[in-house]
Amino acid sequence: MRTEHSRRAKTGLYGLLCLLAIPFVFPTWWMVTSSMKPPGEIFAFPPTLFPADPGLDAYRRVFEFAPFASQYFNSMYIAAAVTVGTLAVSSLAGYAFARIRFPGQNLLFLVVLAGLLIPSEVTIVPLFQLFNGWGMIDTHWPLILVPIFGAPSVLATLIMRQFFIALPIEVEEAGRMDGLGRFALYWRIALPLSRPALGAVGIFSFLYSWNLYLEPVVFLSTPEKFTLPQALTQFVDAYGGPMWDVQLSAATMSALPVLVVFVIAQRQFVEGLAHTGLKG
Amino acid sequence: MATKTDAPSGRAPARPGRRGWTHRRREYLAGYLFVAPQLAGTALFVIVPLALVFWYSFHEWNVLTGSFQFTGAENYERLADDPALPGVLAATAAFSIGLVVLNLSLALALAVLLNQKLRGTVLFRTLFFSPVAVTLVAWTIVWRFLLQDDGGVNGLLSAIGVDGPNWLRGETTAMIAVIVVQVLKNVGLNMVLFLAALQGVPKELYEASTIDGAGSWTRFRRITVPMISPTILLTSIITVVGSLQVFAQIDVLTSGGPGTSTTVLVYYLYQNAFQFHDFGYGATLSVLLFAIVLVLTVVQWQMRRKWVVHEN
Amino acid sequence: MRNARTLLAAAAAAPLILAACGGEDDDGPVTLRMTIWSAAEEHLALFDAIAEDYLADHPEVEAIEFDPLPFDGYTSTLTTQIAGDNAPDMAWILENAAPDFVSTGALVPIGDTLEDTEGYEYDDLVPAATELWRHEDRLYAYPFSTSPFAVFANTDLLAEAGQPTPAELIADGQWTWDRVVEAGAAVRAATGSHGMVIRDFDYTGWDNLSTLWTGWGAEAWTDGGAGCGFDDPAMVEAMTFMHDAVFDAEAMPGPGTSADFFSGEAAMTVTQISRAGLLADAGFAWDLVPLPDGPDGQYSVIGQAGLGVLTVAPHPEEAADFLAFMTNPENSAKLAQYFPPPRASQLTAEDLAAANPLLTPEQLQATVIDRIDQGVTKPSHIGQAQIDQTVRAALDPLWTENADVAGALADVCAAVDPLLSE
Repeated sequence: MRTEHSRRAKTGLYGLLCLLAIPFVFPTWWMVTSSMKPPGEIFAFPPTLFPADPGLDAYRRVFEFAPFASQYFNSMYIAAAVTVGTLAVSSLAGYAFARIRFPGQNLLFLVVLAGLLIPSEVTIVPLFQLFNGWGMIDTHWPLILVPIFGAPSVLATLIMRQFFIALPIEVEEAGRMDGLGRFALYWRIALPLSRPALGAVGIFSFLYSWNLYLEPVVFLSTPEKFTLPQALTQFVDAYGGPMWDVQLSAATMSALPVLVVFVIAQRQFVEGLAHTGLKG
Repeated sequence: MATKTDAPSGRAPARPGRRGWTHRRREYLAGYLFVAPQLAGTALFVIVPLALVFWYSFHEWNVLTGSFQFTGAENYERLADDPALPGVLAATAAFSIGLVVLNLSLALALAVLLNQKLRGTVLFRTLFFSPVAVTLVAWTIVWRFLLQDDGGVNGLLSAIGVDGPNWLRGETTAMIAVIVVQVLKNVGLNMVLFLAALQGVPKELYEASTIDGAGSWTRFRRITVPMISPTILLTSIITVVGSLQVFAQIDVLTSGGPGTSTTVLVYYLYQNAFQFHDFGYGATLSVLLFAIVLVLTVVQWQMRRKWVVHEN
Repeated sequence: MRNARTLLAAAAAAPLILAACGGEDDDGPVTLRMTIWSAAEEHLALFDAIAEDYLADHPEVEAIEFDPLPFDGYTSTLTTQIAGDNAPDMAWILENAAPDFVSTGALVPIGDTLEDTEGYEYDDLVPAATELWRHEDRLYAYPFSTSPFAVFANTDLLAEAGQPTPAELIADGQWTWDRVVEAGAAVRAATGSHGMVIRDFDYTGWDNLSTLWTGWGAEAWTDGGAGCGFDDPAMVEAMTFMHDAVFDAEAMPGPGTSADFFSGEAAMTVTQISRAGLLADAGFAWDLVPLPDGPDGQYSVIGQAGLGVLTVAPHPEEAADFLAFMTNPENSAKLAQYFPPPRASQLTAEDLAAANPLLTPEQLQATVIDRIDQGVTKPSHIGQAQIDQTVRAALDPLWTENADVAGALADVCAAVDPLLSE
């Protein structure tokens, strides 16, 4: 439903939208501008909208204070690994549940669905012990393996299954006539067509891994191995005082790239989401 | 359809007899192989840990000294008598309910607002969605600064003559703050989903009802909401389960305080398991969390018969 | 699934295996790891230098790593490392974690090793300083830092507000908490800067308030830890005083407001002398004086940090040997520039001043040496993590404008009593 409006209503609508947008946009704005202010000015009351004397010194100090570069790299490569892994595992499983007939598949699907009901917070203690037994505490393995194979990827499998169910079966018939095996059907026909769903799954997986907080805090204890969310909370100086400008610079550096990517690709972002089939 | 000139053996579409059976077996094999990674992962990282959680909850386990003793239902008795638990459950309920109500209604409102024939809706859509792409901890840290007594929020309020409270130091205001921060972060997601759903509502329905003289609120109630009810149900399930998992925001903003007013169940679990190092009791709390998630999801899923207008 | 059962058994057995596995001896030179909570470059440089000396004479150890963990949640991180089979060989222990580590067998008794080390002069250790780290007559950790709390004062700010300096007040016999609050309020009113900051309290680290309440004769735990001292009249008086100082007199910053003395944002601060290093670049004149007197008279509170060898250390014997080396008289004197030693012979004003160039012998005599013997340590108790959190949560209602101090303190005891007897 798209309705026409009078000029007055339009102005009112724009005004309302602008007002509503403030709490969504102001924090990001404040983060970026305050990272360039000296610590004293950050808490100036009333707060300043623009830095009086913008400086990038805090950005330099971020790298002096923490192994920020390796922490950044950690977050990136873990998120990339999780995204690729989840795409692979969930598209395979989703395709199979949607397209292939095999005995017990409904039961197996229910078993997989159980993952939706069991968030990783519930199983964090035994997961800790499990990885402990494998000598993987203070490594990145738990942060990669659990999102790909565990509870978080179940949503991805659901999305892929939904998508493949909706895919018309005729597209595969041609391939089948040509004698393609099941894997080839998946790989060469179904998967390329599932780009919107893959996009949505990829975005979800990347953001999920990028934002992971509890798991790194529980599993990692060496600062060089920390991920960004964990590292951001460590910015207190040696004697316990806060280093706000440094912390905000680190926060900006961690948030800005993803945000910029999003703004550039936002149409695909949003459309991929809309196509997840979560509409029902 | 291509002509079947020479069908390679074993690759022909299913035919009765030995060849057909091999094909079907290959299909089964393919099926199992395809789901194997996901299934193995679920077994290893979901089912087994869940069983272990139950197992651990029957033990007394001091991590520092390494003692691990079977104590039967003692942890569950402790759960029943835990003086902190009612407060934790109340905080969890307040947080989840507040979050779901605010999130869904705001998402719907924003989606309706953006579903207008106006220039610039795409820009606003981007603005409302942007917090989703901001790193979670960064977003929360910024809000911690803004919510200080002499921070940005109170600064804005003082500009319009309102004396803002010390948000993170009052029990109610801290809870409100945590809810609002979380909602602002994620509502963009639900908004996009609702927008897509809204755009799937056939125009004719609206036109018909306008002819019948229905006002816009009635149109909304009688047409829009039922037509997008599948989406509402699905997003509400996801939002409810998600609300029970919120951890980082509470850890960064309030550390469960002031007092214990924002100590929700998952945070209490973390405290017991990883701060007090009582893995046994932590496992007991995990069982409780699981039970709550299960009940809520089942209840919502059952309600679909009542609330959802039609199903695929 | 048979696999599941095996896995279940293995995972369930893991804790037992953890407990059983002590340290395994490697053949060949070993690497030792010590967790610490200071990331200060000067400290690390000093430790590395001491380690170098040790390595030169001990080929069986090839490297010694000092691993700074974040101070916030240090004990928790350390415990998680231990739980995760990633225990260090040696660790710094906060004094509030001492009961949990010392009396549960998590640390190796080192008294014998120290006594048997040549030239160690074990009897030089001040008994009062080692009390917290002993259990049933055995020493489990070395209190490498025994640092009384003192007051740093920004004399420029005080002058700006027309207030006398602490030195002048002491000379007049007027150096009391009442006078401190007066001065603090004046500074706040005149300059907008904050008056007095009890550093590291920040409305969460309540054990630092013992630097105030001891002046009223109050204590957190009574009867050797069995009783709750929060609802005693002395404590109620002390906390009422503090509450009024924050909300009525505005002499101390309120919740959610931070003020860093060392950046010049406050006129006075209560902290340990090791913080003096932060004043190297201070843009203001400052002085160091002992804690003010409370209604109960003169008192002293000391903060300690212990160094111990973990029972589950990978190389406990080599670690104990290095610990003995690092804390011998010679190295103790080197460490003294940041960490006052528990050695009677080194607790002289000259020694400490030589090590601590920013402070004068007079200052050190008054704040450290004269006060170390009668010092009370910050509160600590078995089950510290949970008790700390419970008290903190129960104290929160106190930090509001119209709080019912006595009521809140009674609630603290109600919440904490069940935990004290565990």
